[in-house]
Amino acid sequence: MTISRKCVPFTPFERELSKSTIALVTAGGVHLRNQEPFNIADELGDLGYREIPPDVDSSQLMVTHHHYEHTDADQDINVVFPIDVLRDLETEGFIGGIAKKHIGYMGYTMQLKAMYEGTAREIANDIDKGSRADAVVLTGG
Amino acid sequence: MKGIPTVLITVSPEVSAQMRPPRALYPKGFKIGNSLGRPGMRELQRRVLRDALGLLTQNTRPGETITIEYPEYGEQYEPPRVKKPGT
Repeated sequence: MTISRKCVPFTPFERELSKSTIALVTAGGVHLRNQEPFNIADELGDLGYREIPPDVDSSQLMVTHHHYEHTDADQDINVVFPIDVLRDLETEGFIGGIAKKHIGYMGYTMQLKAMYEGTAREIANDIDKGSRADAVVLTGG
Repeated sequence: MKGIPTVLITVSPEVSAQMRPPRALYPKGFKIGNSLGRPGMRELQRRVLRDALGLLTQNTRPGETITIEYPEYGEQYEPPRVKKPGT
């Protein structure tokens, strides 16, 4: 199926937040320190993405991205990838739980078609099948 | 795959709108790299995330970006603009 260029692909949310599991997907170049960094040497960008586990220690996360100023994220990753904040909302009962899988990728690319038709679909499938998320919060840099 | 509901937190609302996100929150005046606020401002970060998640349960118009002001963020920044053809 080809989606119209003018269409907004809207999926309704028909649950209660307090019973829902939430995943994070960020274009802010976030990954684990022991994962391969995004390739910032390639001017075309990096089409890969990294899976981030739900029990990650946020001090083990870092940013590899050369198209935004990420010194604040280097101090507190929650400014672009709010995993500790999500845990707070779970503790206070605002959400039901934290998804089994979260995703970081580097939003900058000159390969827009490959990002839109390849990477984005792979991430959506990965989250849909592997995270048990009821909804996703997206962030940029 | 039937789709999964999403909500975007954007600090570049004009740029993001080009991708037609289903739901989006623009925390007004936050700079790039500060989608949830500044480092260590956990209460502000919680407010922004609660507001973003709250859009899932509100009757927002598909493609609409909701702007919310957070005075405690402090100094405000102008978001990047999309260049119009011929400008």
